[in-house]
Amino acid sequence: MISVKGLYHSYSKDDKYAVKNVSFEIPKGEIFGFLGPSGAGKSTTQGILTGLLSLQKGDVSVAGYDIKQIKQEMFNKIGMSFEQSNVYSKLTALENLKFYSRLFDVPTRDPKELIELVGLRGKENIRVGEFSKGMKHRLTFARSMINNPEMWFLDEPTTGLDPAIAANIKDIIREQNNKGITVFLTTHNMYIADELCDRVAFIIDGEIKLIDSPKNLKLRYGKRIVDVEYIDGSAKKKGSFSTVEQKDRDALASILHSKEILTMHTKEATLEEIFIKVTGRGLGVSEAS
Amino acid sequence: MLNKIWTIFKRDVKVNFREVMPLYIMLAPLMLAIGINLITPGINDTTVNIALIEGENPAQEQCLNEFAHVETFPGEAEVLSRVKERDSLIGILPGDNGYYILAQGNEPESVVEYAKLLNVFFESGVDIENSKASIVEFGETVPPVKKMLVNILLLMIPMLSGMLITLNIVEEKADKTISAINLSPTSRTAFILGKSLTGMMISLVTTVVCILITGFYNVNILLLLLVAAASTVLAMTIGFIQGINNDDVMEAVGSMKLVFLPLAGSVAGYELLSGGWQAFFWWSPFYWSYRANNIILGKEGSAGELLLYTAIIAAICITAYALMLPRIKKGLQ
Repeated sequence: MISVKGLYHSYSKDDKYAVKNVSFEIPKGEIFGFLGPSGAGKSTTQGILTGLLSLQKGDVSVAGYDIKQIKQEMFNKIGMSFEQSNVYSKLTALENLKFYSRLFDVPTRDPKELIELVGLRGKENIRVGEFSKGMKHRLTFARSMINNPEMWFLDEPTTGLDPAIAANIKDIIREQNNKGITVFLTTHNMYIADELCDRVAFIIDGEIKLIDSPKNLKLRYGKRIVDVEYIDGSAKKKGSFSTVEQKDRDALASILHSKEILTMHTKEATLEEIFIKVTGRGLGVSEAS
Repeated sequence: MLNKIWTIFKRDVKVNFREVMPLYIMLAPLMLAIGINLITPGINDTTVNIALIEGENPAQEQCLNEFAHVETFPGEAEVLSRVKERDSLIGILPGDNGYYILAQGNEPESVVEYAKLLNVFFESGVDIENSKASIVEFGETVPPVKKMLVNILLLMIPMLSGMLITLNIVEEKADKTISAINLSPTSRTAFILGKSLTGMMISLVTTVVCILITGFYNVNILLLLLVAAASTVLAMTIGFIQGINNDDVMEAVGSMKLVFLPLAGSVAGYELLSGGWQAFFWWSPFYWSYRANNIILGKEGSAGELLLYTAIIAAICITAYALMLPRIKKGLQ
């Protein structure tokens, strides 16, 4: 669905590249997470893929269209949910979606259905200028589905949303993906990436450091250790046990049989920890979702 | 593409009618048109108003009625009271030695002289039939001041439409919606044409309404619209550029106001300078628009002359539009 080979981009049009030698492939039906801190090159790459930025160097095709010579019809196949909501504040929610639906050449979804889907039922006739930031964000997200996109670009889709609504948005993403829609998810939120993505790419300083599935990354970089807190006699004790070494496995089994366990945690690495380990840098922003 | 242009046009019109500033810009020409009607008299209102005592001299009343607007009052005191009011009304009252003229003293001299003359005609028994003079006229049917004010108003209308485009672009920038449009199968050309259609339609409709309000029913409205359309192309270009260059509504409108300077200069140049100096304004489409409107409103000139002026306006405006189009497209990225 997306093919990127040797992508470079420089805003100053010299050798100061915002994106350097980026290459990856996304097959149809995959949720691909593009992860990195602010300024890493995520938005630049996404801008080139969506045609908002011109392609300077490299080969890029999206939904079967060569980005070097973008055809207007390509936009019938892609949808984009922006990080910063961008809807007409002087139009109502319904008018916004109706207006946008008329700009496409393909059958579009019912605006009212989309409004309901993102939990804005009853607000369809209110001007967007009166909406909260989260409501605007949900409307922007709903708008990105209006043309039934085959390729769906999501830029921080849960930013600024409360946990319940964020969960709803994640459900919608999964549901759409189950219908065969390919998703390009740009985020610095490792939790949502971990939950949703089939594969993730770590990008930093304009270069992709690693591409793999969250599961493989955890297996490769996670510590196979269990932390146990237990009561031994009258004292509270803590211990860390390897799940690989036989000696530790036996000790853990003994504690489980004879002691009262207070807490027990596996030391599986989070994506954020793996990111730091791989890139040597933090993500800058971390948020719960 | 036409469907998308129409969609963008409808959205802009809807938003313009919902906001105070665009609504004010759209209504301002209509209010000015009403204002022009109020401050400049129509051709039939230029007569002299005379006050007489009711039934005092019916023959005199009948005679004066043919040449002036006559009001009658029950007595001398009432005529005196009426004459003291703010407008120019002359009383003709019986005195010891025939009739005397009663005036406030601040009336135009010509009005007082005209009233005196009418009284002399009546006393001497002179009638219109006694004149052997034939009438030769220049065909002017409209007061020159009114024609000039309406002409200036017609020049302002396209500029105000340009302001609406500026406001619409600034709104798109504030809402960051241009990037969303760019990710739809709507070309920048369609987007620009949709916005331009808003400016053009509002300009043309306002022109027609203003012409009707100011009473120029018999002029060639199609020719006026042709001139207005040509001028609107320039206004749209300026509107787009100002919209792209400004992020704030007040800043944008402030910048747009500067356009009224060459407009005022062109009008002043045409009205005040002698023929040789007028060449200094040939570059200005406002100059040619004013000149063309002047001919249309006065029902003068030939169709060829008008088409030449319109072609000059269109050439200047379309050249400016074509030169600025790449900059406009880049600004909308």
